[in-house]
Amino acid sequence: MNLMANILINVITSFLGGSLLLGLHRKIMARIQLRPGPPIIQYLLHSLKFFFKETSLPKTASPVFYISIVCILAGIWTTGVIVGPVTQGSLLIMFGIYAVYKIVEHNMGSSSGSPYGKLSCVRAVFSAASEIPLFAVVALIFFQTGTLSIAGIIHYQSVNGPLIFTIPLAGVMFFILLLTKSPYSPFAITKGKELISGYETEHFGFLRGFLMFSESIAWFIMSWLFLTLFFGPLSVVYYVIGMIAITVVTAFINATSPLLNPNHSVMLQITIAFVCIVGTIIMMVV
Amino acid sequence: MNKQKIISYTLLLVSILAIVYALIFNPADWIVYGIAIVFIPCFILSFGILTMAKPIDDEKEERDEEPFIGY
Repeated sequence: MNLMANILINVITSFLGGSLLLGLHRKIMARIQLRPGPPIIQYLLHSLKFFFKETSLPKTASPVFYISIVCILAGIWTTGVIVGPVTQGSLLIMFGIYAVYKIVEHNMGSSSGSPYGKLSCVRAVFSAASEIPLFAVVALIFFQTGTLSIAGIIHYQSVNGPLIFTIPLAGVMFFILLLTKSPYSPFAITKGKELISGYETEHFGFLRGFLMFSESIAWFIMSWLFLTLFFGPLSVVYYVIGMIAITVVTAFINATSPLLNPNHSVMLQITIAFVCIVGTIIMMVV
Repeated sequence: MNKQKIISYTLLLVSILAIVYALIFNPADWIVYGIAIVFIPCFILSFGILTMAKPIDDEKEERDEEPFIGY
């Protein structure tokens, strides 16, 4: 297939799939909390609707920075689509994408001049200190498989079985990372409700729709990566089942747990990362 | 037509042309990656600027004077 067509199809699929999964996430959280909740398609409709809403720049915003940061977010997750489903390239680039994602969260918070955004921007630095160690899961996968190529890891699993059975604690680390990025997560300190919407607070109108576009892709790609790295070569049907299962589990956890305060969130993530890294190394040695 | 509209239409046109070029002429992989990473977000940005609703003239000044509006 033509490479550009392949990229476009995957970007659109990720956006639509991610939007529906995030809609499902919201619906499940509502039902657990005994609310009817919005229709599953609502997240997708919101993303599109915002493109037609009134948009203006806050007086305190740095205009170029305020708009370009949203484009950069879309750019990095388009790169995620290319490195992930399209080319099955290097995990190291995915690690880089995630690191830049944290920087974008930080810069988006500071671009508007809003105090909520600024506080969220400070928290983005805290959370990077705990989420990046969780993404150190790529090192454990390299020690086990001897490769950082996603295609190579899929091949390894087709021969030796899924990694979730050989390095399950590394799978737990990655799942905590997924949980952190899910909406209303106990670890989502950058978007805590005491900060309104955190670094996204001042991005409204079509910029909010643009942000939701990127976040849908981010959720889809992170779920895809988790399933690919730990459950081996999967058919489309199993990817769909896996993504729905991840969304249901994270929605259940988020609906029943309170938002942690920043220091508790960071310490818990670092503790989980430490226990899982040491545990995985011991399992590999033994 | 104001400056913002002209820039947006230009960006939209350039993005569409770049994407169509990559679709039809199938250039080297690194060029396609560059076009996708730069021009897909540019396409959405310019589309958004063109489709967004503008404040009515009476409210324009009020909107611009807001320090931050919130979601």
